[in-house]
Amino acid sequence: MNSPFIKTIAAVSIISLVAAGAAFAQDAFPSKDITFVVQAAAGGASDRTSRAIAAEIEKDLGVSVIVENRPGASGTVAFAHVAEQPADGYTIGFGPVEFAIAEHIGYDFDRSDYTYLGQVMNSPVVLAVAANSPYSNLAEFIEAAKTKELSVSNSGAASAFAATAFTLAKMTGAQITPVPFDGGAPAVAAALGNHVDAVTAGAGETATAFADGTLKVLAIFADEAHPRFPGVQTAAEQGFDLQFGAWGGIYGPAGIPDDVRAILEESIRKAAASDAFLEAVTPAGILPQYKSGADWEAFVAAESARYDEVLN
Amino acid sequence: MSPFIDGIMAILEPTVMLCIGAGVIIGMLVGMFPGITATMAVALASSFTMTLEPVQGLAVLLTIYVAANFGDRIPSILINTPGTPASIATTFDGYPMAKNGQAGLALIVSALVSAIGIIASMVLFSTASVPLAQLALKFGPSEMFAVVILAMTIMISISSKSIAKGLLAGVIGLFIATIGRDPITGDARFTFGIRDLNSGLDFIAVIIGLFGIAELLDQLLTHRPHEVKPISALGRWWPTKDEYKRIAKPTGIAALVGLVVGIIPGAGGDIAGLLGWDRAKAASKTKASFGKGNIEGIAAADTASSATLGGSLTTTMALGIPGDSVMAVMIGSMIVWGIQPGPSLFVNQPSLVVTITALMVLATMITLAINLVRMPMMVKLLDMPVHYIWTTVLVFCLVGTYATTNNMFTVSIMLIFGVIGLVLKRCGIPASPIVLGLILGPLAESNLRRSLLIDGPAGLVNKPISATLLTLACIAIVVALSAPILARRRARQAKAPL
Repeated sequence: MNSPFIKTIAAVSIISLVAAGAAFAQDAFPSKDITFVVQAAAGGASDRTSRAIAAEIEKDLGVSVIVENRPGASGTVAFAHVAEQPADGYTIGFGPVEFAIAEHIGYDFDRSDYTYLGQVMNSPVVLAVAANSPYSNLAEFIEAAKTKELSVSNSGAASAFAATAFTLAKMTGAQITPVPFDGGAPAVAAALGNHVDAVTAGAGETATAFADGTLKVLAIFADEAHPRFPGVQTAAEQGFDLQFGAWGGIYGPAGIPDDVRAILEESIRKAAASDAFLEAVTPAGILPQYKSGADWEAFVAAESARYDEVLN
Repeated sequence: MSPFIDGIMAILEPTVMLCIGAGVIIGMLVGMFPGITATMAVALASSFTMTLEPVQGLAVLLTIYVAANFGDRIPSILINTPGTPASIATTFDGYPMAKNGQAGLALIVSALVSAIGIIASMVLFSTASVPLAQLALKFGPSEMFAVVILAMTIMISISSKSIAKGLLAGVIGLFIATIGRDPITGDARFTFGIRDLNSGLDFIAVIIGLFGIAELLDQLLTHRPHEVKPISALGRWWPTKDEYKRIAKPTGIAALVGLVVGIIPGAGGDIAGLLGWDRAKAASKTKASFGKGNIEGIAAADTASSATLGGSLTTTMALGIPGDSVMAVMIGSMIVWGIQPGPSLFVNQPSLVVTITALMVLATMITLAINLVRMPMMVKLLDMPVHYIWTTVLVFCLVGTYATTNNMFTVSIMLIFGVIGLVLKRCGIPASPIVLGLILGPLAESNLRRSLLIDGPAGLVNKPISATLLTLACIAIVVALSAPILARRRARQAKAPL
């Protein structure tokens, strides 16, 4: 059977396969590795979410998705880096709530420099107090803050958590002093040690202490109850219609062609709905929350208008 | 079966042993590589350990944590480059010892006392975590401010040659610490519109620049080759009986300092190492040679900073609040495995507490053994001609610093501080107070301002812990400043009768 004919046939079929592969590579996205830029160092909520999404996109699109951490300057180092990359869909990134905040706190950041591919998560802000605190719901807390000044710790200046405390004070006329700490964990510790009267933090930092009974959660600033906080009402249910969250989505540089954009959006939608993603993020108190690229872009614009008011 | 036996049995499995082995190798390499931190290694490893059994996963992550703490000391001693802030105080006496031809001795002592520090802290972790964690919660902003002020008084004792130059360096450090965003209001300070300066100067880049790169430039630019002392002779390895006796007291003092500092949230191995070194110096009979290659100095620095590991684990496990950045990553993994850190962990899962303790101790013993046996071989690398060594060091520093942020800006910062470090060195201004200012400055400022926001000025003095610590700081300053004056007077009186 080892005739020249067979060899020729084999050679031709191999060449045509290679040629077909090349032709395929020319017009179909994706044909090479995708770089996924994370604006925070390895280990936090952004990194965890990004790596889980990247792993799912990798499975779906069949190319490697390389996660690159570029921390610094409230994330704007990473945002600026992505904006400068070619808009071919091979560079995408994780866009956190700083997308709505950065421009209001003096960073050179323009929301229109980006293509919005879809929101994937939300980590609602909660208001919590130590177990031995006299307050057991939001109304009691606000009532007390009307007669004396109450301090509320948060993870850092100009964060969603600080903004929640500011807005709550403005909305109700209560005397609340937001006290920024260097990260969510020390802010929660300050509340547990009764150094401050309460803390605004993410579910990730408070859920363990809540489950253990050392922390009381007074309210969740979200549309609906949180699975990690059974029995805790939302702020709206207690008569304070206020929602704040550390949300995040996936973006790329402005001007990604529509066909490529559609492929990425679809892949991100599937990733955000996958069980693997759910299993990776929920233990950290993060809720999967999907919005399409267009919806997320509109949401970011609305959030930005809100933060403009809170922060200036 | 008793929880103790259950806990020990859990780690006596071949797969767990394999995980410990992997952790030791990763941790040692990560520790030795300047710039690459245990946090990075644990964060990346945790994405692979997610699918393992909890005990296997904990074996990998905790072992990396332990082994990196050992590896960290090696570049501090051999090339004056602390891999992470935790080993800054190691350079004070470690590098001078290496220059005096005692590199081998410094490495062995460092490994021995690091193991003592970790094991002492694990004893405390396994027996008294819950009450200690309650103590940790007593440290709010005003107490933290007082701790940091006490630590700052060390600026005087580490500037043994000239107090004026030391304090000048400290002030430079405090100034560069203000670059970046205001911790309370979030306004930009001294950023000059440069985006990358918004997050402040990267600690690791500044430290590697001031210590490692400056040393390298100094040696390369010295035109009197006979004065350059490359670390060619490693000297003997094992301490003599007399040296064991000498390091016993500083190790004991520093272990206490490390255990206390380790419990305080927000204060880690860097502050512990500095305070431990300082306290041991104050109690030593050979004060004068601290900072010039005193074996007691390295014993104190490494015991204290290693003894913080158990403290971080204590706040993490007993409160669910991460004691340091490695632990923040670990909590994420533990929740995935269904381990719920908090006071009830010690009641509901005592066998897990035993397992964690056993893992930490076992990882410490294995890493110590490797350090003691393999160190001579590893250090053989230093027999290379000096220009190869410095080339390798430079490449490692460049790669390591780049890896912290994936940003060339950080590398530029390191190189700029290398040049600054060289200039300061030639002017006789010490680098350590700069780093001290850079690390402690932001902690002092932010905690003072938090404290003022919450309680006003009264909050600093009407709380027992902060009032006591601030008084101690005042005493430390008076004693440190008056010591040279008293010594001079005594010398004059001794001469007087002549």
